[in-house]
Amino acid sequence: MSTPALELTGLKKSFGKAEIIRGIDLSIGKAERHAIIGPNGAGKSTLFNLITARFPPTSGTVKLHGEDLAGLQPFQINRRGLSRSFQITNIFPAMTVFENVRCALLWAQGYKYSFWNLVNRSRSLTEGADAILDQINLLARRDLPAGMLSYAEQRALEIGITIAGGADVIMLDEPTAGMSHSETDYITDLILKVTAGKTLIMVEHDMGVVFGLADRISVLVYGEIIATGKPADVRADPKVQEAYLGAALEAEH
Amino acid sequence: MELILVNVIDGLVTGLLLFMLSAGLTLIFSMMGVLNFAHASFYMLGAYFAYQISLALGFWMGLLVAPLIVGVIGAGVERYGLRRVHQYGHVPELIFTFGLALLIEEMVQFVWGKNTMPYSVPEVLNFTAFSIGANSIPAYKIFMIFTSVAIFIGLLFVLNKTRVGMIIQAALSYPRTVEALGHNVPLIFMGVFGVGTALAGVAGVIAGPVLGTFPGMAFVLGSIVFVTIVIGGLGSLWGALVASLMIGWITTFAKSYNVQMSDILNAVGISTPENLGNSVFRDLWTVTSPQIADILPYILMVLILIFRPAGLFGKRES
Amino acid sequence: MNDELTTDPSKPSQRMRAGSLSLTLTPWIVAAFLLLVLPFVFTNNSAITIMNQMWITVIFALAYNMLLGQGGMLSFGHAVYAGVGGFACMHIMNMSDFFAMFPLPVLPLFGGLFGMGLALIVGSFSTRSAGTVFAMISLGVGELIAACSVIIVAFFGGEEGISGDRTYAMPFFGNEFLQPIDVYYLTSFWVLLSAALMYLWSRTPVGRMANAVRDNPERAQFLGYSSRWVRFYSFVASGFFAGVAGGLFGINYEILTEENLNTASSGVILLVTFLGGVGFFFGPIIGAIVFTLLQTVLSLQTELWAFYVGALFLATVMFFPGGLAGILMMHVPAIKLGKAGGLVRPYIKTLVPALIGILGLAALVEMTFHVRHAATGDNEMTLFWTTFDSHAILPWIIAIGVTVVGLGLARATLPAMKEAWSEANSVGGKL
Repeated sequence: MSTPALELTGLKKSFGKAEIIRGIDLSIGKAERHAIIGPNGAGKSTLFNLITARFPPTSGTVKLHGEDLAGLQPFQINRRGLSRSFQITNIFPAMTVFENVRCALLWAQGYKYSFWNLVNRSRSLTEGADAILDQINLLARRDLPAGMLSYAEQRALEIGITIAGGADVIMLDEPTAGMSHSETDYITDLILKVTAGKTLIMVEHDMGVVFGLADRISVLVYGEIIATGKPADVRADPKVQEAYLGAALEAEH
Repeated sequence: MELILVNVIDGLVTGLLLFMLSAGLTLIFSMMGVLNFAHASFYMLGAYFAYQISLALGFWMGLLVAPLIVGVIGAGVERYGLRRVHQYGHVPELIFTFGLALLIEEMVQFVWGKNTMPYSVPEVLNFTAFSIGANSIPAYKIFMIFTSVAIFIGLLFVLNKTRVGMIIQAALSYPRTVEALGHNVPLIFMGVFGVGTALAGVAGVIAGPVLGTFPGMAFVLGSIVFVTIVIGGLGSLWGALVASLMIGWITTFAKSYNVQMSDILNAVGISTPENLGNSVFRDLWTVTSPQIADILPYILMVLILIFRPAGLFGKRES
Repeated sequence: MNDELTTDPSKPSQRMRAGSLSLTLTPWIVAAFLLLVLPFVFTNNSAITIMNQMWITVIFALAYNMLLGQGGMLSFGHAVYAGVGGFACMHIMNMSDFFAMFPLPVLPLFGGLFGMGLALIVGSFSTRSAGTVFAMISLGVGELIAACSVIIVAFFGGEEGISGDRTYAMPFFGNEFLQPIDVYYLTSFWVLLSAALMYLWSRTPVGRMANAVRDNPERAQFLGYSSRWVRFYSFVASGFFAGVAGGLFGINYEILTEENLNTASSGVILLVTFLGGVGFFFGPIIGAIVFTLLQTVLSLQTELWAFYVGALFLATVMFFPGGLAGILMMHVPAIKLGKAGGLVRPYIKTLVPALIGILGLAALVEMTFHVRHAATGDNEMTLFWTTFDSHAILPWIIAIGVTVVGLGLARATLPAMKEAWSEANSVGGKL
């Protein structure tokens, strides 16, 4: 078996006395679409933030392609091929849509902190950014300030920024939160399209999206994973039924 | 020994004076997230208003009325200026208060001119309270200490024992929650800004006669007050107190003892090089503590910001 | 509000097309031409001195805006970098052997290097965070270095400052820069070069990321960039150009003092930049030109010029946070729609009375000042080329009348102007 794309071992996090993440072991294979679900306050976003080093874990390790990420800064993790979106829309509102995506391409195309290259002169930057805009259907909004986009468009742009750098592990934090049905379908299709062949890890509340997208699902309850498996197995798992899914599924229907 | 005691008293006076300014500033900052660059300008206004009132009605009416006027002006600035700029973000807010400081200085020059005003200690307090050795301690200094301490106790009482104080304390940490509970947070903001500037006004009234009432007085104290609350930790009242006293004593002692850098360096075992006259480091060796007394707070602040960005008592950065 | 501004999706990279190069070059060619011919229009020495001052301020303000506008860093002590660059240049001027080895136009480069060196040191710890912490560190360091000017006499020259003589440099094609006009062209060369370099900087990857970090430092981190280093590079570059400005100051005035370093100078550059507008590259250029003109013209006319400038600044922060450049750029949509012409008449109807009203107000301010501060018995004052008795009642009535009528007219015509504005910015014909 090849090295998993992302591997968590004994991951724990406490804030003061409150233990939010209580020891998580999880292995996500290459090109797998993995959804993490769970009730509010289960620690899903905290887990995301631990993986991307927004805050340090209390104990345990996170390995990306077999490499331990301990002590790395978010930007260093990003350079190793992991990219994420945020629960709250997190774009550059004062810059144009095109600029947003182009900035996301800079590091991936090796420009680093250079001040001897002109971004307008680079064909690969312009074409790359336009290709991404085409993928996320925002070409028509190219030269508008990103802050003027509609909510769904901003979320689409954020996904565009997240995938632009060519990272092979994509983490999406509630990509469809606060959207209407048609918008949700639109974003789901978009995610399917842009993450083809990549490892996808997502936190999501909408069960329709989860069961439509995910190869495997982990259920997080009170900082622990109580079940991991194929959607059908997770759905059938009595522990999950009891703890969470039953109620959620009832609410769905 | 006598000199130490005198310095302790002088440092205490300076420190408490600083505290009256920094207490208001830090309250305003923690509530509104605004570092009010013009805070010391309100202190200056306090001194000038008190001088003008004292001409007609005497010192005590000045002490009573001037801070009220300053507070009303402060509240007006918050209501009609800051609240408007608030929508543009924190940097324009900071720039606004900076511009306000410039404008107030110009206005003071416009009305009162550039000279120092003959605002002096009232007759009743113009005597020697007691003497330490050959050093006499004027009664006015004791009066300053008592006034500041009284204000501090009053502030603590209001913040900890009254309903308004409870709301303010809650708003310090959770402004949104307090707003959600139905309190009129903009009104509280205006009130805190008014009270904070009024406190600065009080400081101006009592400092004017000893430190001089002139258009540059805000500038002299302004950035030091900033430094104080950064060192103490933005938003911390106790931090402001500790930092104010610390700065008061450090600068007083540095000014009163003439220590040369070469003495210190010699003491730690580095000997003064010969033919210092031509060396680039000549000035470093001959630096004396009174020379650098006024920049010690800045050195302290930069060090604090590098190693403990939240300040001595602060809980959060920036 | 701006849905009509979307681009045609069938032409994805229209900005890359040929022709855009000549479009971006045009302003620079115009600027170079203006720099060249201005001394033939304003020939006297004082005008040339003012222009030199202007160009130096342009460089400094542009450098400052690399921080404030493009990087989102508010500095209260940026004069220090210009000052140290300038002092370094003065010392080089005084090292006669070394100074004679190169021509004078090279000197500002040393100023830039020293400014950059200081920025390297300070930036290494101050750029860890933006916002209030950065502002406070900049203030602290600024005050520290300003205070050092009276302590470290060897470098800063104490209260007298450091003076030198620019003519000791190696002659530059036989020119020893004896005349202001020689210095003018030296300064013009540097202002064009620096402005072009700073503009190009904003088009580089690190320049673009400076904007990204300004808007959202956390997101930038997840694009592979360290916010801190992006800020650091901007800071160092800004220090360099500030140092160049300092060096040019040294060449122009042949003396630097504590005044070049202190917080007041740092405040002025903040004022200039904000007045011009931080949101656009050319904002600080407008700011520097307008401010220098205001300063020269007003300070000749009135003692109260700083008061007016302060009031103007505060009004800008409150009502036009985009500055002058922001006001100009507000009109771009109307011009694109071809409706800007419809704004001219309403503007005249409102702004001319407003200007007259403000002048009336200024007259009242001046008269009050005169009554309060002129020596007793000196009742005569001259205002707007009229000499009158400031204690008489008639001038007061006239001034109050002009103010009230002017501002009243402006107020009355304001709704019409607003209406014209929204009309000029909406698509489609008159309803």
